[in-house]
Amino acid sequence: MKEELLSVGIDMGTSTTQLIFSKLHIENMASSFTVPRVVITDKEVVFRSDICFTPMLADNRIDAVKIKHFVEEQYQKAGINKEDIQTGAVIITGETARKENANEALLTLSGFAGDFVVATAGPDLESIISAKGAGAHTYSKEHSTTIVNIDIGGGTSNLAVFSSADLLDTGCLDIGGRLIRVDQKSHQITYIAPKIKKLIALKGLDLSLGQQVSPADLQPVVLEMVHLLEESVGIRPQSEFYPEIITNKGLKLEQKIACISFSGGVADYIYNEAEGDMFRYGDIGILLGRAIAASALFTQMTVVRSVETIRATVVGAGSHTTEISGSTITYTEKSFPLKNIPILKLALADEAGVDPQLLAAAISEKLDWFKLDNDMQRVAIAIEGKKSLSFPEVQRYARGLLQGMAELIEREYPLIVIVQHDMAKVLGQTLYALLNYEKDVVCIDGVLVDNGDYIDIGKPIADGKVLPVVVKTLVFN
Amino acid sequence: MNEDKLIELVKQVVSEMTSTQKSDNPVMLEAVPSDSEEYVPDLSQVDFRKVLDIPHPANREEYLRVKAKTEARLGVWRTGPRYRTNTLLRFLSDHAAAMDAVFSDVSEEMLEEMGLFSVSSRCSSKDEHLTRPDLGRQFSEETIARFKAKLKPKAKVQIMVGDGLSSAAIEANLRDIIPAISQGLKMYGLEVGNIPFVKNCRVPAMDVIGDELEPEVVCMLIGERPGLVTAESMSAYIAYKPTVGMPEARRIVISNIHDGGTPAVEAGAHIAELIKTMLEKKTSGIVMGD
Repeated sequence: MKEELLSVGIDMGTSTTQLIFSKLHIENMASSFTVPRVVITDKEVVFRSDICFTPMLADNRIDAVKIKHFVEEQYQKAGINKEDIQTGAVIITGETARKENANEALLTLSGFAGDFVVATAGPDLESIISAKGAGAHTYSKEHSTTIVNIDIGGGTSNLAVFSSADLLDTGCLDIGGRLIRVDQKSHQITYIAPKIKKLIALKGLDLSLGQQVSPADLQPVVLEMVHLLEESVGIRPQSEFYPEIITNKGLKLEQKIACISFSGGVADYIYNEAEGDMFRYGDIGILLGRAIAASALFTQMTVVRSVETIRATVVGAGSHTTEISGSTITYTEKSFPLKNIPILKLALADEAGVDPQLLAAAISEKLDWFKLDNDMQRVAIAIEGKKSLSFPEVQRYARGLLQGMAELIEREYPLIVIVQHDMAKVLGQTLYALLNYEKDVVCIDGVLVDNGDYIDIGKPIADGKVLPVVVKTLVFN
Repeated sequence: MNEDKLIELVKQVVSEMTSTQKSDNPVMLEAVPSDSEEYVPDLSQVDFRKVLDIPHPANREEYLRVKAKTEARLGVWRTGPRYRTNTLLRFLSDHAAAMDAVFSDVSEEMLEEMGLFSVSSRCSSKDEHLTRPDLGRQFSEETIARFKAKLKPKAKVQIMVGDGLSSAAIEANLRDIIPAISQGLKMYGLEVGNIPFVKNCRVPAMDVIGDELEPEVVCMLIGERPGLVTAESMSAYIAYKPTVGMPEARRIVISNIHDGGTPAVEAGAHIAELIKTMLEKKTSGIVMGD
């Protein structure tokens, strides 16, 4: 059995918008003598769009109509119909995510892009997606090392740290190539982002709007930005301005990071020499890239060449957001996709000894967090489960879950349970039996989720053996 | 060299040897009981996939990651050209567990607890069971009469259990897999009737049940030939309308049911669905595809 999933990735960034199509190859890798084990065996980018500047309206809102036109045009170029798209993600990144109509633009586009295409944003997810697109998590696994990927775009630098393919941390700084803009002809400064203005003032640099500049004039402020990047990965003591430049959070830096890779538009000028006009893009992107290449980031860390630079985020969105569930699962629900379901993950202590009373109490208490105006939202309950468990233990898990989820069961929502260990089929069947086969159940395993995540579950694939899922680490709000 | 110098040299060598023995070599210490307990440590309790006996590995972490992916005994180190004592002892102990699994019987208490009724193949001893596979798939007239008295004819599903080559596998998994299968089948509106246990049983014994009672699907849970990895691995052989002499390709098998493989409860849930699919497609084996 071999199957392909067509996936789309659309990235609306501070400076550019682009999309890709990729094929996810899915195969049952188990022999005929064991239970099935369906996995994604290969990810292949089959179409890369043109890269366009993200269109903005005069009032600094996103021009959703123009973006839609662009996307339509690229679909035509690729020869792909919206109906053929099975999965994927639209991600809105960098400064664009902070525009007031960002959410609206995102939703328009995700509905337009296909049934099971998720819309998402947020610096954490952007960091993860771009690092995966850049190949950092694969590198960390293959070389069993720790690596930080910095995706440097127009408005932000997104950091993600992986150790042997496990995500350790994410962070985001307001450092990017378009935070200072320079007129291509007159070489006058046309824009300085507010935080960079502060940095300039703090360092007593002589730069202001309208001033005509040469690359050498900008070097001091570019160097300050590079220093902040060095601080962010722990190779330079953190300065007083460091907390200021952080978008939402910096890296915790609990362990030394051995390797570093770069992606985003600026990365092209980190890995490659630049010749000719330094202001050809009307910004400081090239200068920033070259300054990074000459910095301590290159001498004190092992530099890894990323597999994607400017396209890392879009490739990440198209190829690395969809996972598939374990292959022995239970679902009686028919109406997929289920979208934007928040996760309630129990603490390990709640599961200790598999005591139904304890489980139920923990669930019903934590379910209160998900009440909006006293109204219960749809929630998926996530548990760790046990590696090898007895049938009575399965029963106790099921009884505890049902008792704790009583309030959810009263609603029309299907019961959604996500368990980490391989036990979803028997647990799902047990839940369904205890519900007298009257209430739909979706019980999947093999997916890692945590509190604060949202999950989308797509239509069954591989003869109904598995469900595709997208785990989102923070939905746009 | 005069005698004094020789004596001095010998003294020096001897003192060097004793001091080496005293030096705390972590590799040597592992095989020795760490405190003054009455018993020597039970080597079979050690998860050897998490132990690396190589004294100075270049990359311990990566080696352990490789070890975590295989049951092969990697990185056991050596003494001269031979295994180290704990490697050899572990090998012998795992081999002994495998032998025990073959030559022991499933306990009466277990069969009673699970409500199984016990019969035997035509083999009258374990030795005969091992040397005469042909008899392990046959039943006496009286046994067949017992089947007919106890089992419902033309049932949708008939589950049966056999010791096969590992009674330990049945002891370890039956309590969890039978209720999981029953629960799963119930979800599809299927009933599990009486379940026979066959002593000295080979897989094709299920075909005899197919001929005599004509159930639609027969599912045989049977102990696998034990190996050094586990002695507790069980398989489920499932066939649609099996008959004596049918091609083996008509059977489907789910193997590797044990703690380290597919958990018994999860396998049971999967088997229930497989049985339902067979009943829908009215076929089994490789023609079913996957």
